[in-house]
Amino acid sequence: MLEIRNLHVTVGGKEILKGIDLDIRAGEVHAIMGPNGSGKSTLSYVLAGRDGYVVTEGSIRFKGKDLLEMNVDERAAAGVFLAFQYPLEIPGVTTMTFLKTALNAQRRARGEEELDAVRFLKLVREKSRPLNVSDDMLKRSLNVGYSGGEKKRAEVLQMSLLEPVLAVLDETDSGLDIDALKTVAEGVNALRSPERAMVVITHYQRLLDYIVPDVVHVLSQGRIVKTGGKDLALELEKSGYAEYGADAA
Amino acid sequence: MAAVKETVETVGEIEKYKYGFFTDIESEKAPLGLTEDTVRFISAKKDEPEWLLEWRLAAFRRWQTMTEPTWAKVTYPPIDFQDAYYYSAPKQTVKLDSLDQVDPKLLETYEKLGIPLTEQKMLAGVAVDAVFDSVSVVTTFKEKLAEAGVIFCPMSEAVKKHPELVKKYLGSVVPSSDNFYATLNSAVFSEGSFVYIPEGVRCPMELSTYFRINEKQTGQFERTLIIADKGSYVSYLEGCTAPQRDENQLHAAVVELIAHDDAEIKYSTVQNWFPGDEEGKGGVYNFVTKRGDCRGENSKISWTQVETGSAITWKYPSCILRGDNSRGEFYSIAISNGRQQVDSGTKMIHLGRNTTSRIVSKGISAGRSSNTYRGLVSVHRKAENVRNFTQCDSLLIGDRCSAHTVPYIETKNPTAILEHEATTSKIGDDQLFYCMQRGIGEEEAVALIVNGFCRDVLQQLPMEFAVEAQKLVGISLEGSVG
Amino acid sequence: MSEKATQHFIEVYEETRAALPGAGGWLARRREAAIGSFREAGLPHRRMEEWKYTDLRRTFEKASFGPAPVHEGAVVLPERRSASAFAAIDRHVLVFVNGRYRDDLSRAGHLPKGVELHALDDVLHEQWAKDLVERRFDDARQAENIVDLNTALMSDGACLRIRKGVKLDKPLHLLFVAQDAGASHTRNLVLLENEAEATIFETHIGEVASFVDVVTDIVIGDGARLNHVKLQDEAPDAVHLATMRARLAAEAKLSSFTLTLGCGVSRGQSFVLFSGEGAEASIDGAYALRNRQHADQFCVIDHAVPACTSHTLFKGVLDGESEGVFQGKVIVRPHAQKSDGRQMTHALLLSRDAAMNAKPELEIYADDVQCAHGSTVGELSKEAVFYLRSRGIPEAEARRLLVLAFLEEALDLAPHNQAKDALKLLVSEWFGEAAP
Ligand SMILES: Nc1ncnc2c1ncn2[C@@H]1O[C@H](COP(=O)(O)OP(=O)(O)OP(=O)(O)O)[C@@H](O)[C@H]1O
Ligand SMILES: [Mg+2]
Repeated sequence: MLEIRNLHVTVGGKEILKGIDLDIRAGEVHAIMGPNGSGKSTLSYVLAGRDGYVVTEGSIRFKGKDLLEMNVDERAAAGVFLAFQYPLEIPGVTTMTFLKTALNAQRRARGEEELDAVRFLKLVREKSRPLNVSDDMLKRSLNVGYSGGEKKRAEVLQMSLLEPVLAVLDETDSGLDIDALKTVAEGVNALRSPERAMVVITHYQRLLDYIVPDVVHVLSQGRIVKTGGKDLALELEKSGYAEYGADAA
Repeated sequence: MAAVKETVETVGEIEKYKYGFFTDIESEKAPLGLTEDTVRFISAKKDEPEWLLEWRLAAFRRWQTMTEPTWAKVTYPPIDFQDAYYYSAPKQTVKLDSLDQVDPKLLETYEKLGIPLTEQKMLAGVAVDAVFDSVSVVTTFKEKLAEAGVIFCPMSEAVKKHPELVKKYLGSVVPSSDNFYATLNSAVFSEGSFVYIPEGVRCPMELSTYFRINEKQTGQFERTLIIADKGSYVSYLEGCTAPQRDENQLHAAVVELIAHDDAEIKYSTVQNWFPGDEEGKGGVYNFVTKRGDCRGENSKISWTQVETGSAITWKYPSCILRGDNSRGEFYSIAISNGRQQVDSGTKMIHLGRNTTSRIVSKGISAGRSSNTYRGLVSVHRKAENVRNFTQCDSLLIGDRCSAHTVPYIETKNPTAILEHEATTSKIGDDQLFYCMQRGIGEEEAVALIVNGFCRDVLQQLPMEFAVEAQKLVGISLEGSVG
Repeated sequence: MSEKATQHFIEVYEETRAALPGAGGWLARRREAAIGSFREAGLPHRRMEEWKYTDLRRTFEKASFGPAPVHEGAVVLPERRSASAFAAIDRHVLVFVNGRYRDDLSRAGHLPKGVELHALDDVLHEQWAKDLVERRFDDARQAENIVDLNTALMSDGACLRIRKGVKLDKPLHLLFVAQDAGASHTRNLVLLENEAEATIFETHIGEVASFVDVVTDIVIGDGARLNHVKLQDEAPDAVHLATMRARLAAEAKLSSFTLTLGCGVSRGQSFVLFSGEGAEASIDGAYALRNRQHADQFCVIDHAVPACTSHTLFKGVLDGESEGVFQGKVIVRPHAQKSDGRQMTHALLLSRDAAMNAKPELEIYADDVQCAHGSTVGELSKEAVFYLRSRGIPEAEARRLLVLAFLEEALDLAPHNQAKDALKLLVSEWFGEAAP
């Protein structure tokens, strides 16, 4: 589904990703771990197509197409979803309005029928309940005044509503309390399916107890330095990243 | 009721019509230019009483001694007021059966003030005559309103049927000598709405007038007068559109509102006059004087405006807070794109005790436009315990537009508490990225963020109006990104 | 024929020009041009937007000022504390009496190498002085036009040039004393070359019907820094008109603070132009007025280049029948991206008859900017007064404390610690005098 070959990316003139190779097949869940500043978020932004992240070398193919040729919203409509490490606030735009606009824009782009208000509302209710997202939150401006944990839950709600093909979760677990962590993990697991792939970026093995990955990668200084099974995460928890040539800063 | 239309147009390419149907309308015009005879001609055509003619003539004489205001941050070539027509009316009166035919379109108009551009064209074809003709409004709701004792009719009808009210209130808020354009309007106005809500009556429905400059003969000098008697309430909606044309057209309206004790007037506008093309050719010069007088105690006047059209907007809906405990509100969204120039804002004149006012202005500039908020909050010596809060936010889209904020804050009473805040910013790249990552296209994302920015004002609009206004925000900004 | 008040100054010019510095040179021609423009524009008045709240024409119709005499004798400093506010600070002092430099009263001490300090007359032949005098900002023409009056009539001033990288060892204090009634026109010129640093104090005191017209032209080079603390405290029948025009090169810093205890009519104008990226300007002030005093703060900041930061905060208290004015404008020119402009003005009205007018303007032609202004006007919070009284503080004392606390936020911006303390003390004493 996703093939990344020799990906080099510079940000602000500085090379951050220095040759990434990564293959993700439908149905798989990959975890990416690695020290702060190693380039995890950079990778997720490149997948989403953020401005200022310049691919100097390499390629990304998604479902057989050249992902780098597509602009941000085209990628989203094709099924690429990024749960942001730091979700943005948009004053005055309610979460509800935002969700509806996004969902219908994607449906339109895919040539599907838009949902009317009633059907949409029903769908949102259905998706928000298990995530403990209250109606009150939905009526408030998107992410404005949300607590850290609420923001993360809202990201997962967006994901479950938009039903992406490839979901990248950038530290969606940070800032969550234990119960919220479980709720979010359940939300994510509910989306696991043979057609869907996920990339879970995290610092904590804890999340991977709930979302069990098929593959774990260690990213350090812009390169994938190790790939293994779910046990790799346990190992890292014990020994840290020192052996991968990274100082934790 | 015959549709009566006036226009002033800079002569030049007046032969160019974008829409063929205009030539079909046979019209009767006053001779070119503006003289006392033109004023007499208009008054005679409208079969007006002597006092009104005299009032017009006095205004005209006054106008001749006045000069155009130049303090606003707008530039345009000088207007030759003598090279224009001041009266033009279709010879044919709209028949009722033809009205029936266009009714669905009319309904559409009332449901959708703030009409999307594609619909504008449709409307221009058929419904225009009916729309100019405020009669349709009256016929639609006449019985229901009459039951409540509400008078809602075209100004020219009010002059005949309710002369005592017109005589008492006309020019009592905006004197005929007020400013250059108001004085011009006083001399040559014709159509407009007259509303009177009797004591204690809550007007059973939203009243609305849809103004349209249709063709070169149908510019606007309308005059609206709304009186809310003691303890009454009315919500009035005004929508404006104009077709595309090459020449600039002048719209110089006057709106006067009077709220007596405990009365409330809510006045909402969606102004979508033709803004001119991308190069700034054509478009309406919207030079409007709107003022409300909170004459009675505990009265309230609230202006809400969504300004997306016009080549030039010069407009300051104001409140004179005369009655003790009266309240004035001004909620405004002004969007400018292309080469539009907006200089708009409000004046809150606090004369009475415990008077309060609130100003929320959201200016959005895109393209090569210029967008100015100009506002005055003034507290007189005897106005105790005045409160004002003003919030002016400007959003810039692109680096060739400009946004200006020119507030005047004047107080002569120490018990007043006045707060003014203003910010200028642009749409954040990361906000845009976030929206687009969710699959929302760039233009839609901009519209969404701008609508969020405007939310405080949009919330003030009546429901259906708000939905249309939101769409309009998106439409107005088309072509402003990328 | 101009109207009377304008004509008066033109006549003064014609009578005195032969005796003014620079006769026969470029300045004489410059003076001719300036008086011509002044004649054309006339004294500013209410119908000019930028003089909307301060009508100088009326001011000078009511009170006429002939040239102040040259004072050569002993000078008795007014009793006001303002006269000695900075006395405890180690500093260089230049004293001007009736607008003219008095070497016998000054104590300039030994100046570091690279610091040149002269009277106006002595630098007129230098190109930099000429450049400074001739430069216009043109951001607010109606306001700036009044500088023509100064150019035509200026008779003296302090001219400071600091060479590249040199720091002035201690503050330079310019003390202006109006000893006799009449008008004085002073022109100060300040040139800080790249990386130079200086602190300037400026005091204006007097107990006579003076018209003090002072223009200070400043250029701050790359990475250079100027701190400026001004104190103005003159007579009830005096008129004070001050214009500061400062141009900042890349990474330059200007911090200017003015405490206005006022006079009859005072107007302080600041023009700041950013000409290099990364510069910062902070133009702040506090004022405390009473009786029939009128004080107008006029401030224009021109972000002509990207990435500069400006900050303006004026706070004032108005007692008696006094009137305060703040007019400010932040301009961000096209392409001046990443500009950050903030402008705040807050006033407290302490009496029934005081009045305040504010007009904070933004004029923005670039999109990637952070600009904001805010303005509040009100009276002392009754709840706060009540709270303090409930703790046993008498009302007058409670009010004084709250007013000082209110002004403190602004006073804290004065860019010199000892000067700041001196100003705070003055303000606190000002309030003491106000007790009925
Ligand atoms: N605009 C920029 N200019 C220069 N360097 C940048 C820029 N943006 C990000 N970087 C650098 O890129 C590196 C990778 O950042 P990234 O956010 O991808 O790290 P991360 O692995 O997600 O870290 P964390 O675990 O802390 O979230 C960091 O060193 C960061 O400082
Ligand atoms: Mg990260």
